Amino acid sequence: MAVKIYTTPTCVYCKIAKEFFTKHNVKYEEYDVFEDLTAREEMINKSHQLGVPVIDVNGEIFIGFNRSAIAKSLGITS
Amino acid sequence: MYDLAIIGGGPAGAAAGVYAARKKIKSVLITDFFGGQSLVSADIQNWIGVPSISGLDLGKALENHLRAQEGIEIIEGNFVTTIEKNEIGFSLKTDQNKTIEVKTVLITSGSHHKKLGVPGEEKLNGKGVAFCSTCDAPLFKDKNVAVIGGGNSGLEAVLDLQPYARKIYLLHRSENLKGDPVTAEKIKTDSKATIIFNVEVQKFIGEDSVLGLEYKDKASGAIKKIDVEGIFVEVGSAPNSNFVKNLLDLNKWGEIVVDHKTQRTSVTGIWAAGDVTDVIYKQNNISVGDAIKGVLNIYDFLKLK
Repeated sequence: MAVKIYTTPTCVYCKIAKEFFTKHNVKYEEYDVFEDLTAREEMINKSHQLGVPVIDVNGEIFIGFNRSAIAKSLGITS
Repeated sequence: MYDLAIIGGGPAGAAAGVYAARKKIKSVLITDFFGGQSLVSADIQNWIGVPSISGLDLGKALENHLRAQEGIEIIEGNFVTTIEKNEIGFSLKTDQNKTIEVKTVLITSGSHHKKLGVPGEEKLNGKGVAFCSTCDAPLFKDKNVAVIGGGNSGLEAVLDLQPYARKIYLLHRSENLKGDPVTAEKIKTDSKATIIFNVEVQKFIGEDSVLGLEYKDKASGAIKKIDVEGIFVEVGSAPNSNFVKNLLDLNKWGEIVVDHKTQRTSVTGIWAAGDVTDVIYKQNNISVGDAIKGVLNIYDFLKLK
């Protein structure tokens, strides 16, 4: 399971998504696209847009924190 | 079978849940997430009792207060898609295929960001057109941006962008800003911000990313263009009432029409409070009070039944 999250320092839904991962013991890699311009390019290529968060679950790309869709993709019930 | 279902987890829903639990009304609260629309606010300075709190912290405080109550069930990560009337009350269905049977319902489902509805807006969404200034402001570092809307959320967007953007145009449709004067004063004295009044936005320009926008100066009738790489649309909100549009009386804006003494809707057994209703002033503090009014009226209704 490879989970990546692209964030900015001020993004609230990014924080909520990360809390969700932590609560469900999901390991994730975080890329701050404010600082990291390579990651920003990668995020734009994957999602074809600029808004955060973008979440990559094994290559499945989610724009925004859609809890139920992401939970499903991670195999989390409840 | 519950006595009451509360739909929504913003300030109104949380307040209703606390009061319902303390009245020992057998209740369930169904929400996609806690905190309501203020969740993305960087700094709320008018939540009474706290001089300054972030939207995220306010959301957590509301959730914690609710979870501290005994005897209320919480279904999170769900939103209600239909309400059907039956012999004993109502049957609710959620997007996650849960069915909930209840005697009464309090709708506190809030509202969502309204779009401007001009050419280019949809196509460039996420490509420079943004709806969450706290989220996306850092991505517009050293860029020229426009904020559309001179209400409180527009003014806050300017403040969110202030540390990052090179130049901020605030476009407003009339001659006076609608937001709180305290915030407006900060913007008027900001060297980065330029306020343009009497604006009717015509279209957003750009193919793969935003290059600018065109607007009509309503005073002169002239069409003008500004070059920006980001556009933040903050033109108010629209009620989350679609799921009851065939059940309840709504006004022309889609807001649920309520009796403002009791929060009752046009259908006996269903109440509504907060931004989803035709309340004139959409405010966290008001939503809380209206939701409590609704619960107290529901308590009386259930007792007399």
